[in-house]
Amino acid sequence: MSSKHDILNALKSAAIAPQSMPVIDISPRIDDLIGQFETSLNTVAGTLHREGGLAKLQAQVDEHIAQGMQIISMVDGVKGNREVTDTAHQLRDIDYAVIPGDLGVAENGAIWVNNKNLGHRVTPFICENLFLVLKASTIVANMHQAASRITLESGEFGTFIAGPSKTADIEQALVVGAHGACSLNVYLV
Amino acid sequence: MSTSNSAVHAHKAEIFCKDESRVDWHSKALWLLREKRDRAAGSLPEWEQLRQIGSEMKLHTLTHLGQYLEEFEQNCIKNNIQVHWARDGVEHNRIVHEILAKHQVKKLVKSKSMLTEECHMNPYLEQHGIEVIDTDLGERIIQLAGQPPSHIVVPAIHLKKEEVGDLFHDKLGTDAGASDPLYLTRAARAHLREQFLSADAAMTGVNMAIADKGAVVVCTNEGNADMGANLPKLQLHSMGIDKLVPNIDSAAVLLRTLARNATGQPITTYSSFYRGPQDGGEMHVIIVDNGRTDMLKDKILAESLKCIRCGGCLNTCPVYRRSGGYSYNYTIPGPIGIAVGSQRDDTNSIPWACTLCGSCSYVCPTKVPLDKIIHHHRRLKAEAGKLPYGKASYMPLVGKFMASETALNCSMSVARIALRILPGSLLKPFSGAWGKYRELPVAPNSSFEAWFKKNRG
Ligand code: SF4
Repeated sequence: MSSKHDILNALKSAAIAPQSMPVIDISPRIDDLIGQFETSLNTVAGTLHREGGLAKLQAQVDEHIAQGMQIISMVDGVKGNREVTDTAHQLRDIDYAVIPGDLGVAENGAIWVNNKNLGHRVTPFICENLFLVLKASTIVANMHQAASRITLESGEFGTFIAGPSKTADIEQALVVGAHGACSLNVYLV
Repeated sequence: MSTSNSAVHAHKAEIFCKDESRVDWHSKALWLLREKRDRAAGSLPEWEQLRQIGSEMKLHTLTHLGQYLEEFEQNCIKNNIQVHWARDGVEHNRIVHEILAKHQVKKLVKSKSMLTEECHMNPYLEQHGIEVIDTDLGERIIQLAGQPPSHIVVPAIHLKKEEVGDLFHDKLGTDAGASDPLYLTRAARAHLREQFLSADAAMTGVNMAIADKGAVVVCTNEGNADMGANLPKLQLHSMGIDKLVPNIDSAAVLLRTLARNATGQPITTYSSFYRGPQDGGEMHVIIVDNGRTDMLKDKILAESLKCIRCGGCLNTCPVYRRSGGYSYNYTIPGPIGIAVGSQRDDTNSIPWACTLCGSCSYVCPTKVPLDKIIHHHRRLKAEAGKLPYGKASYMPLVGKFMASETALNCSMSVARIALRILPGSLLKPFSGAWGKYRELPVAPNSSFEAWFKKNRG
């Protein structure tokens, strides 16, 4: 407790005069939100499937299953071949995870995902590849709009996912697929 | 006076500069990031507005920090997050070790945190028998190489792919001579997966701590923070007191500028919000001061706490690009490293690792007035009688000399004549460090004063 006390006490002698909170008032770009979203998603190395919806996704999933892949689906209406495991660690051999996104952000291609729909929190990271399902009507213009719409209740975890995992730590060469998913396909519904 | 001549910035930079082609390569790699940043910034019409809001929002938070820290703590507790306070690095490390010891942790996976570097946490935990695995690829590379980070966002920027290949061959058993980044990254992926899956606890840094939610935000491109934190049941987050923001709206402003300014990406791949532990797990947040409240006592230094660690100022800095991250005598190099590290710099030389060109202040997404802060540090060093070796002896004389018009005019005309008639080789030694990598100037025929009298006077 005393360290807390010391730190808070020390803050009382800070030298800068109190500043007020600025108003965050930035006008969003609202033309062609889906088009903007698609362009941004491409920039972050993801792919958007505008047409075909869940049926197209299921066909894709079936094809992968036929090839012997392990697929877990957290989306109603899409069937994989794996169930939620007892422990997070048991997801280590998942090839594809199908999960629902709560909203998409046009300016950067990010999709908000909440742990309520993940089974284990690690699902979107531990899978080799990721399928995200997104309602077209949930795409917002920018992060300011997203911030006011995302839900994050007490105890929850949520994340903006913008593309597959990537790194450029070896000589600045972009490599897609670091620790998380190696590819990201987004299906609009 | 400097403690040891060998450690001053200029000397360490000289070591880096020995390999000229490497310097060019290093400078180019970073300039590429600066160009990407310019494109990303340029594509947002509201960029300048975002910088302004970011700056004001951070200043607002810093000037109400006590209140926000308490609010943050209370909300964390409501979310079942355990909060700890540490005055300095020693206390931070002790707290971390206590938590880990209580859970008998043998292996900790860590995602990039400059704060734990600042606290020298890894060696401390290793001494106590805990294996610490850095999981960001760049961090893992330098950890395997036994080096500290040379950049805050791209910590292994100084290494070439062949060097990484040799290192991985040695430590991870990759093919000899292999240097393909894709191949090496895949090898690291496999190696680190095993670490994530066998770790007993995870630790991450914090990009933003949201006061009104009691949540922390962690941004990575690789997903290592999330692979770490979401596998073992025990997760720890270390944060400086300067990471607070009032609410999600403010976090959104910074999320718009952070990655754009760091690498030119519209946002990092993962921007994760943790508002409580996973089911049956434990989540700890360690709030660290370690000199930050001291900086807040100085009006000018205080503004350096607005920094969001994007690394943009490093990428643009002409001195950093050509002297490398290891020349700064502090964990954080570059302009922001000078701003936050000068007071601990026993060589008293890093405030001079700067041309005061101001490029860093211009790119900073929260408008940290870096050149002003660096200039201020020079003054503080001078006032404390700690000018670096060389400068201490002549700077006071320069002041007197420049103040005397006769002395200045007279010696300037001597210098002009000397520059015209004496060979460069004879004069160069007199120019000291300045002339080492520069040609001497061509002397004008007359002084500016004489020219002014004749033409304008
Ligand atoms: S001082 Fe500004 S530019 Fe430099 S790392 Fe911090 S936020 Fe980025």
